[in-house]
Amino acid sequence: MTDTLLEIDRLSVDYETGRGDLKALRDITFNVNKGEIVGIVGESGCGKSTLISSILRLTAPNTRFREGEVRFKGKDLLQASERQMRNLRGADISIVFQDPMQTHNPVLTIGQQMLDIQHRSKQSKADKLAHAAKMLGAVGIPDPEARLKQYPHEFSGGMRQRIAIAMALMSEPDLLIADEPTTALDATLEVQIIERLQELQREFHCAILFISHHLGVIAELCDRVVVMYAGAVVESGEVREIFHNPKHPYTRRLIECDPGHIKERARILPTIPGEVPDLANLPGGCIFRDRCDQAMARCASDVPPLDQLKEGHHAACWLNHEEATS
Amino acid sequence: MEKSRSELGQIIIGVARDPLGLMGLIIVGVIVFCAIFAYWIVPYDPIAMDIKSRLQGPSTAHLLGTDQLGRDTFSRVIAGGQVALKVALPAVFGAMAIGLTLGMIAGYGPKWLDNLLMLFFDTIRSFPTVMFALAVVALIGPSLQTVVFVVMATSIPTYGRVARTQTLTLRNSEFILAERSMGASMARILGVHMLPNIIGVLAVLAAMDIPTVIALEAGLSFLGLGVKPPTPSWGALLKDGYSLIRQTPWLVVGGGLPIILATLGFTFLGESLRDVVDPKLRKQR
Repeated sequence: MTDTLLEIDRLSVDYETGRGDLKALRDITFNVNKGEIVGIVGESGCGKSTLISSILRLTAPNTRFREGEVRFKGKDLLQASERQMRNLRGADISIVFQDPMQTHNPVLTIGQQMLDIQHRSKQSKADKLAHAAKMLGAVGIPDPEARLKQYPHEFSGGMRQRIAIAMALMSEPDLLIADEPTTALDATLEVQIIERLQELQREFHCAILFISHHLGVIAELCDRVVVMYAGAVVESGEVREIFHNPKHPYTRRLIECDPGHIKERARILPTIPGEVPDLANLPGGCIFRDRCDQAMARCASDVPPLDQLKEGHHAACWLNHEEATS
Repeated sequence: MEKSRSELGQIIIGVARDPLGLMGLIIVGVIVFCAIFAYWIVPYDPIAMDIKSRLQGPSTAHLLGTDQLGRDTFSRVIAGGQVALKVALPAVFGAMAIGLTLGMIAGYGPKWLDNLLMLFFDTIRSFPTVMFALAVVALIGPSLQTVVFVVMATSIPTYGRVARTQTLTLRNSEFILAERSMGASMARILGVHMLPNIIGVLAVLAAMDIPTVIALEAGLSFLGLGVKPPTPSWGALLKDGYSLIRQTPWLVVGGGLPIILATLGFTFLGESLRDVVDPKLRKQR
């Protein structure tokens, strides 16, 4: 059953700055189906965070939605009232942030905070506390009842991130957005959190939008992956397809640069030379042209469209056209 | 509830460990005790006149002597403390409550509201306190309420500005974003999440502000703009003693010493409280 939960349709978002409009997102289109885990990869500054805040409509004041729609269960969130959005956040869509050390209120106990999140529920305080303890147990915090009385600084980073996940899943949302939830943690904890997320996803059947720049984690966890570069989608498709048969040079280079992918010991780790283009002053043609080793004359003049190459596999590169024509 | 009580206990223990804090705690304790139980402590009615025994020095009958109307100075000092706290506490807590609310709204609300409130704060601050007091007294006459009102109105901007700055630093912190992404309303964010983060700093500010207010009340009473005679006030005592300093120095001592002690006591307590409560210092413990 492929029921679409979240549809992002030709979304373009600008930031108004003193230097002119910064085109943070351009023509983003992808879907998240019910119960599916979709990964978003891309280097820093590619628009991942803008995308998340656009979905939740928690954007900076200078944000301008230029075009497109964000449809959640068929309803355009960009047209929803602030009140409707507030009722959606934390109930139907919730989020786990990157840095677990910063996401809890330092002066309230975990129990107080977990009680506060349930402000919509009409249950008694005791029931809410029991629910909070149950959720802490579900994410693997031992002795949850006693832990509810403790303050955030009494927990380790990994535990705090698990608490954040417990809080996000408390209202059994349909969509969980995970914004680089393991970036601030070390490798062992990363594995634990990923495994826990997989278990919880099976238990709660929620869709997960997983943002990361760690390809290994994406490959492990996600069903589908969206590769973003400089505010645009360059390739999207099934995880297996993307990793074994990347159709965009950027994806190919990203996979090559993943340290987990390197077989031999190297003095210098591979990188992609060059820099992300200035989003306020975009060059014409393909945005990856300057850093691409297979750039052609056509790349400088025309923007490559995001074509469907196979069922569910899209890429935006003229190389695929060459293959198709020759 | 039990948790917050033990936390309050921890704060008091922390203050008492600091020698200056302990001193402040004792002085403030004595002043508050005397103010609460003034009715039972005073040996004489503080406003009862006894012309026959006027301007006496200290004796077993009158510990600090009597004034020009034969009123017992010791009784007036004790009762004056009650008046001082009656002015200081409502004024400081009132100013704190209003300043906190306005400051948080200024810090979290839209830019135009912030500008409007800051303009309001700056306008109040630009009035010299004593001139403002003179104007208000001229309008509604000197009384305890007038003093409370003047002190409160002039100290609202101080609390408002601190609350605003704290709110501004907190509003962009990640945990507030996390609360917003969990669907918390503005009232919930301010009341449940911001307030406990700000209140500590403001409480310390209030403790440091109490001596200023006591001195201000004494000053206004000294100028005859404060509480109406015959209500005993440290400032009024000082004023009476000032004109009679050649006949008897005891009135000046009776009025001045408690002002000095109260100012020192509350300042010590406030500073020690700041060291204990300040979240930045607390983390290092």
